[in-house]
Amino acid sequence: MSDIVLSLLLFTPLVGAIVALMMGGERQKYARYVAMVFSAIPLVISLYLLAMFNMSQAGYQFLEQYTWISTSFLHIQYILGIDGLSLVMVFLTTLLVFLVTLFSFEEKERPNFFFALIMAMELGLLGVYMSLDYFMFYIFWEVTLIPMYFMVSIWGGPRRHYAAIKFFIYTHVASLIMLIGIFALAFGAASLGGSGQLVFAFDYIAAAGFSGVFQTLVFGLLFFGFAVKMPLVPFHTWLPDAHVEAPTAGSVLLAGVMLKMGSYGIIRICFEALPEGAVAWQIPMVILALLAIVYGALACIAQRDLKKMVAFSSISHMGMVLLGLATLSEFGIAAGAFQMFAHGLITAVLFMVCGIAGHNIGTRDIPLLGGMAAKMPKFAAFMMFGFMASLGLPSLVGFVAEFNIMASFFFWAQDNNVVWVVIIALSSLMLTAGYYLWAMQRTIFGRVTDRVDLSHVHDVSTYEALALGALCGLIALFGVFPALAYDFIYPVAESLAALIGVI
Amino acid sequence: MTFIEYAWLVPMIPLAAFLIIGFFGNRTPEGGGYIAIVGAVASFVLSLLIAIEVFGGSVATPYVMETPWLKISEDITLNFGIYIDNLAVLMMLFASFISSLIFIYSVGYMSHEGEKKRRYYAEVSLFLTAMLGLVMASNFLEMFIFWEIVGLCSYLLIGFWSFKHPEGDDASDAAASAAKKAFLVTRMGDVCLMAGLFVFLYAFQSLDYAVLFDYTVIQTVDPDMIALGSILLFGGVIGKSAQFPLHDWLPDAMAGPTTVSALIHAATMVKAGVYLVARAYPLFVQSMDVMLVVALIGGFTALFAATMALNNMNLKRVLAYSTLSQLGYMVMALGAGGYVMAHALHSGDVEAVGGYTAGTFHMMNHAFFKALLFLGAGSVIHAVGTEDMRKMGGLGKHMKVTSVTMLIASLSIAGIPLFSGFWSKDLVLEAALEPALEGAGIFWLLYIMGILTALMTAFYMFRLWFMTFRGEEGEASKHCHGESPRCMTVPLMVLAVFALFSGFFILAGFNDLLTFSFVGGAFVVGGHGHSAMYVLEHLALSPYTYLSIVVAVTGIYLAYRMYRVKDVDPGRFNANGESAPYKLLQKRYYFPQIYNAIAMKVTYPVALAVNYFDREAVDGVVNGIAGSITGGSQELRKVQNGLVQTYAAVVVGGVALIVVLLYLAGFLTGGL
Repeated sequence: MSDIVLSLLLFTPLVGAIVALMMGGERQKYARYVAMVFSAIPLVISLYLLAMFNMSQAGYQFLEQYTWISTSFLHIQYILGIDGLSLVMVFLTTLLVFLVTLFSFEEKERPNFFFALIMAMELGLLGVYMSLDYFMFYIFWEVTLIPMYFMVSIWGGPRRHYAAIKFFIYTHVASLIMLIGIFALAFGAASLGGSGQLVFAFDYIAAAGFSGVFQTLVFGLLFFGFAVKMPLVPFHTWLPDAHVEAPTAGSVLLAGVMLKMGSYGIIRICFEALPEGAVAWQIPMVILALLAIVYGALACIAQRDLKKMVAFSSISHMGMVLLGLATLSEFGIAAGAFQMFAHGLITAVLFMVCGIAGHNIGTRDIPLLGGMAAKMPKFAAFMMFGFMASLGLPSLVGFVAEFNIMASFFFWAQDNNVVWVVIIALSSLMLTAGYYLWAMQRTIFGRVTDRVDLSHVHDVSTYEALALGALCGLIALFGVFPALAYDFIYPVAESLAALIGVI
Repeated sequence: MTFIEYAWLVPMIPLAAFLIIGFFGNRTPEGGGYIAIVGAVASFVLSLLIAIEVFGGSVATPYVMETPWLKISEDITLNFGIYIDNLAVLMMLFASFISSLIFIYSVGYMSHEGEKKRRYYAEVSLFLTAMLGLVMASNFLEMFIFWEIVGLCSYLLIGFWSFKHPEGDDASDAAASAAKKAFLVTRMGDVCLMAGLFVFLYAFQSLDYAVLFDYTVIQTVDPDMIALGSILLFGGVIGKSAQFPLHDWLPDAMAGPTTVSALIHAATMVKAGVYLVARAYPLFVQSMDVMLVVALIGGFTALFAATMALNNMNLKRVLAYSTLSQLGYMVMALGAGGYVMAHALHSGDVEAVGGYTAGTFHMMNHAFFKALLFLGAGSVIHAVGTEDMRKMGGLGKHMKVTSVTMLIASLSIAGIPLFSGFWSKDLVLEAALEPALEGAGIFWLLYIMGILTALMTAFYMFRLWFMTFRGEEGEASKHCHGESPRCMTVPLMVLAVFALFSGFFILAGFNDLLTFSFVGGAFVVGGHGHSAMYVLEHLALSPYTYLSIVVAVTGIYLAYRMYRVKDVDPGRFNANGESAPYKLLQKRYYFPQIYNAIAMKVTYPVALAVNYFDREAVDGVVNGIAGSITGGSQELRKVQNGLVQTYAAVVVGGVALIVVLLYLAGFLTGGL
């Protein structure tokens, strides 16, 4: 079982997508059950992986390796494997897909197509998180784009076409630059290895021994591709537009796991293949991270649309991921990677809450709302929980990530005699608390709004509450026992820091 | 078996109560009120049993129990556990005891809240849990976790009526705003505190008290780092204990139910800051400068806050300012004592510094009389339905128990001999005097501030008491419901007993329990303080004692003349209603406006500018590039839908084609 388990995990959603797609016409109403089953199976498999994963063993586990294409000049393999970091991301992906399916259980508009797209997205995401051949990595990376494009352009809001195109073209252009970087790696490795064959396997490229200059240049190409995906300021403007228009399920997956492909790529490819490049790019990474953190937080304060605010908060929080990674220490890399996981859980709650606001109240415009706690107590409770988690309330998972990132950054700044920069990073904590509390004050507290017709407002539905409740439970669980996830991530960070530190 | 092995149950019991009430509260009587009471009382009883063991000396302190929580780097593992010494036990005792009384009182006070009771009792139980966790934590990170949960609970409870306020929409808005303010202003301090933790984590590679308070370890660490960390930690104290300049959230926090104010002011929340100074004393005393800052901030807050209580007409607000002022006292005492210790530390053993005992002792006494004052105020508000003292008066006839117990509390806080406040306030002033007499001139200033504060305190407390309970009946007094129910008056009477007698603990050995010494190269909490006889003798012979008594009596006498006999017209200080100092006090020295300006006149415009820049400049460039590529000046947003679908199809098709070609190439060259 364990030698094909990853393939099984990878292709279950594909089968699910095809089956769901065939549930057209009369059978449409059963599509959701298909989706439920086919999104539950990967979750079960990922739980199995969590149980079977050997924490004391370094490197990748459950490896599967087949030659896919082999010519005189190309050698592309099908390599799947997971380490602690990919495992956590795989778990997050399967979890969020399952919960999003549950959340969208009452989707009425072409449910077969809708659920098929969700599962197609899962295929791409799992592929990215498990591929160890960079060419395959790229293919799955592109696979995630297409279902997301359709999801925004079909189920989206009034400006959905603009947003979907912008999303597609912007990130696609970035992917192409990344692809150039991947080919450069393969070419570089081939020429160093004295062979004419391009090999994309991770271990082959890692062992190539690139020169410092080469590493620095190629790091730049790859990093750009990943930076757009994360997204980092100033390459972020596709994100708020996409989120504002995307349906809730799309937003949850986009912010919850798709953005993490960017930071995952930085760790998996940039750091692992180009450790010297990482050192050369450290200062730019720190600056970009600080910029994203503060800029994103400030932009949040100015937003009127609840969902756009949450979208900008993602930019700020993904900046924190990079801040952790940029320290290049095991402390910071683990903290940044943990933030990927934490943010994935938390942002899912936030986008679900925004979705409910838009759907059940009819508007997400903050100045129009007010006193919703009196009308929708469950909604208000989930919103408060999500906001508190996102602003880093201790005992919830976001705090652990945030504290460790800030602490590791302090360590880095102290060692480099630039302690004052920590103030920039810390100022965002105030701003974050500010926009969340202000938003709550204006939406759920105070007098009940008379600017919106509240006669048909209904509170969170059962399916929505189940999905939200599960997420909140996990946010608290990993907040109190962070080691449950941290211990998977830490060894990866440790070996990366050792790799980079050797230079 | 020793009870201390089960100390972890102390916070777990109210936590269980929180969960039970949170999930099932509506199915139990009083919305879970009785469960909350049982939880608090059980945790008090267990604390008491532990206290007997610890104070009795049958277990060695500090009692530490730790388990690894998170490994964050090669050398650093964060822990989770409990650390119990005399200070922790004292905090556990009065937090759980006063909370128990407040919860009992709430059964009467919150009886009209209906469905909301469940939320109330769940939140106060969590509040108690967090406070107990905070004082029992074994390291700074764990302390900080509970510290923030305390903050969350205060946010939830101050905003208890932030929707569906019984008094209408404006009150809802005010509560929502007050809750936000409390959270944000304290957050400002918390961010400092967090930075302080980073400094300590870096310097010590640990946050465990057991490591950080070890003098042999401290000696190996750069003293500048310790001073930096301490001052940042104190930033958190300024926020939480509402010291100048982060004090202004506390008066607004009166928007919550009065029982919540009692909890925040007496048993939890603001006491956390003072506790933190006492807890981190071994680190704070490494620097005289840090201790001087602490003392100055405390002394200034004491005086500054007392002035605002002088002319306020709102019953609860006056009490809020008095809390600020009294907290200032505690911080000042700790700072002054620490200053002496810091000064003496390098020369070797230092025994029993007065300031530490004074600060912690005053914290305990204050907990009793301030809880009593707030609960008494709640009883009054419950009966007359207003907080405006001008509408009260003559309530003494209708509410005997409330009136007498409030009188006891007022005498206590004013510092009339034998009442509890007398003992600790005198120790506080003496703590400020000690370095002054040893030649640190600036402490004379602090002592004078302290004496002035004492004068004002006696004045405003009796102003409050006379205005509320004596004189002619105000408009609200006329439809007073009479004395509050038994479940409210009994807690008042119990607290009154403590407000009367808790000062005598100093003669009964408090001194030995809560001293802070540096003996034989180690910091010790508890040990040998001065004997009861020595304390008495010292008090009786010191001229400063009589000075503070005279000051207190003068304050009361002034209030008597102005608000009871009324032959001195208080209006003369506010000629034509436009006296500038009077207005300055009423406007709270314009601090609400300053806070507001920082948020709305600085941060918000910057945010708007960033947003504008984002849309017009950053996104403008993106759309411009896209437009120039798709041909012509058209913006991307105007591109027709069909074109895009074609484009997407081309891209998808392209990727597919590449894959197929590669596959074919592989097949043809026989690589498969």
